[in-house]
Amino acid sequence: MLVHRRTKRGKLAITLVATAALAINVLPAHAINLHKVDGVSQSTITLGITSPLTGAAAPGYNKVPYAMQAYFNYVNDNGGVNGRKIKLIIKDDAYNPVLAKSVTNDLVLQSKVLALVGTLGTAENEATTRFVNDHGVPRLFVNTGYSGFANATKYPTTYTLLPSYVMEAKIMGQYIKDNFAGKSVAIIYQDDDFGADALKGFAIAGTKFVTKIAYPSGSQADPTVVGKWIGGLMAAKPDVTIMFGVSSATAAALGGSYKAGFKTQWILGSVGGDGTTIATVAGPTAVGLLYGAIGASFLPAPTDTTDPYIAQFQAINTKYNPGVVFDNNVLVGMNSAMLTVEALRAAGPTLTRASLLKAIAKSGSTFASAGFAPLGYSATSHVGYNGYWFGTYGPTGAIKPIGGTYSLYTTDSGTGAVVKATSTRPAMPLKGLPNN
Amino acid sequence: MRSRHLSPRTRALLFLVIGAVLLTVSGFIGELRTYQGAQVAVYMIAIASIILLTGYSGQISLGHGAVMAVGGYGAALSFNLWHFPFAIALLFGVLVGAFGGFVLGVAAARLSGPYLAGTTLALAVGLPTIADQFHVLGGEQGLNFDIGDPPRWVVRLEGGDFTQYKWFFWISIVVALVALWGITNLLHSSYGRNWRAGRNNAVAAGLAGINVARGKVLAFTVSSALASLAGALFALLLGLVTPTAFPLSLSFAIVTGAVLAGVGNLAGSIVGGVVLVAIPELSGSLTTHLGNSQKVSANLPGLVMSSSLILVVLFMPNGLRIRKFKKQVKTQ
Repeated sequence: MLVHRRTKRGKLAITLVATAALAINVLPAHAINLHKVDGVSQSTITLGITSPLTGAAAPGYNKVPYAMQAYFNYVNDNGGVNGRKIKLIIKDDAYNPVLAKSVTNDLVLQSKVLALVGTLGTAENEATTRFVNDHGVPRLFVNTGYSGFANATKYPTTYTLLPSYVMEAKIMGQYIKDNFAGKSVAIIYQDDDFGADALKGFAIAGTKFVTKIAYPSGSQADPTVVGKWIGGLMAAKPDVTIMFGVSSATAAALGGSYKAGFKTQWILGSVGGDGTTIATVAGPTAVGLLYGAIGASFLPAPTDTTDPYIAQFQAINTKYNPGVVFDNNVLVGMNSAMLTVEALRAAGPTLTRASLLKAIAKSGSTFASAGFAPLGYSATSHVGYNGYWFGTYGPTGAIKPIGGTYSLYTTDSGTGAVVKATSTRPAMPLKGLPNN
Repeated sequence: MRSRHLSPRTRALLFLVIGAVLLTVSGFIGELRTYQGAQVAVYMIAIASIILLTGYSGQISLGHGAVMAVGGYGAALSFNLWHFPFAIALLFGVLVGAFGGFVLGVAAARLSGPYLAGTTLALAVGLPTIADQFHVLGGEQGLNFDIGDPPRWVVRLEGGDFTQYKWFFWISIVVALVALWGITNLLHSSYGRNWRAGRNNAVAAGLAGINVARGKVLAFTVSSALASLAGALFALLLGLVTPTAFPLSLSFAIVTGAVLAGVGNLAGSIVGGVVLVAIPELSGSLTTHLGNSQKVSANLPGLVMSSSLILVVLFMPNGLRIRKFKKQVKTQ
């Protein structure tokens, strides 16, 4: 076969250049690790977080990392942790596990973070589990209610914070039993693991439904789907309707039933019950639809300035996170950041990944935080909060505890009983600066 | 289009040499780069599937992210449910994807231009959400796809420090090179010539005795097989498959990669793959330098990607070519 010489060279050249390109992309990595401990130097502690800053899941959740950063900056301005300042590296994962994995690689292998804090999403955390386990990277206070992450054998470096969806549903079931005995109950839920966990919890609680409406995640954007929900509800005429979905689904359900003139006592799951998030996804007028609905939370209401934690966090937000409305997302961020600071303090001046994990196992259950439910951390348990209180929404979308006081129910993710909690919350450290 | 060929033997040798070089290189680079290298290899296959489809057979698909999902789910499902060995699971994913591509190709052969783009776009929007509907597909949370530790002989060969990511790199590089080698041979065969003939002038090709419609269906099938291979490897790197791993933006990203590579240039898939992995990386480090603010980190990757796409289309419509002397591909 006749082969043109120049051409042959050309082919070879392109291949060589291409190989070089790939090699360059792969090359300058051999960074020698000068400091002994990843993420800790004389003056700095480096932490990382992955969260959706763009895409459909971003509204609301994109406030969490910056609220954490604001709290860390407040602590830094007040002396830091054992003389070290905290640096939080924030990475966008667009609620996509592929992106979550590559930015987590960057955080751990390139930025050499000590720990991951507040990483959001079930699949996003699942995608990085193997890598995080292999490298022994602490993954603290993950922002997901999937009960699986509390399994300390499978996720040895992961600590959960939010009560699981199973707990929430069990507690909701008990609340209905206590307050709406004999009334007919319906549920609208997301047709995936989120919803499956909820149904599991309601089954344990013995809640019976006159109708169960499942919807695929995302289909709430379709008005005909929402029309079917409302049609289904109007046919079943439930006294009480549980909405166990994300904020956009809550807004769609409340809006649809208002338009149709359908009346029921709404009970909203904590995931889809944040007033400002609903305002972001469905417009400010949607907030009014919340009026009269019952909601559940484990943190104090973000509008309750009589609560010392809220008052302190609001002050920090005004100064260190200017222009951002203080809502449940900001509260969750600051609260997780406070717990992180307590964990770092508990690990002592010789801070390593191992000492950090050990410190939480040892004293994590005594950390002060805004949550009313106790933290379940121990050598064998990685379960965070385990309880909820119930409140009603006012006309501005703010939630207030029923009867004026936060009365808490606690339980577990298994078949354990739901009980009215008696524990008291640790007092807030002076000026919100941990002193453990 | 081009009359220049490497002899098949030289070509095979070339791929072998590249493979050997890359596998050797993997011993000298960090874990992060091995993962990125594996990602580049996977994107290369995905981009090659678009180049084959668009550059050589003249069809368009905005739904190849969904085809990748089929491959990923096929591999993960057969691996978990029927405990296929990994290599067979990979093949199974490819077969399922190829079958899907064949069905789609039959429909696609009747469509062209915006109609084809619209149909495939609908696929990209709709298909991943189907996973939510079937329990066996694991819903929103997807399926695990953990092939476990690297086999003992590899670890023994390489010493104790053989990470999981390095193993991924080896698998992806070998699979990518074999796939690209196969495709190069195919494109240089009568099939490739017929595709190009049909693309350049369907009537003339038909008069010359080429069955253009059949060629299109075949091209769609082969392209889908490649895309689902990429999807299966994608799932391997991720350790799981979920609907959110295959968003609409993935379909656009691989088309963007193909445009950057030059849609008529298979070797360009390497450039495309590198660019797709490098841009988020570059904008990520740029963001850190610019002070980690929300507005910057949320918008910079999109800005860099879109502006490079616009610049390439304006100034280098045939992609980021390495060779100047190569004649530009004329597409009709």
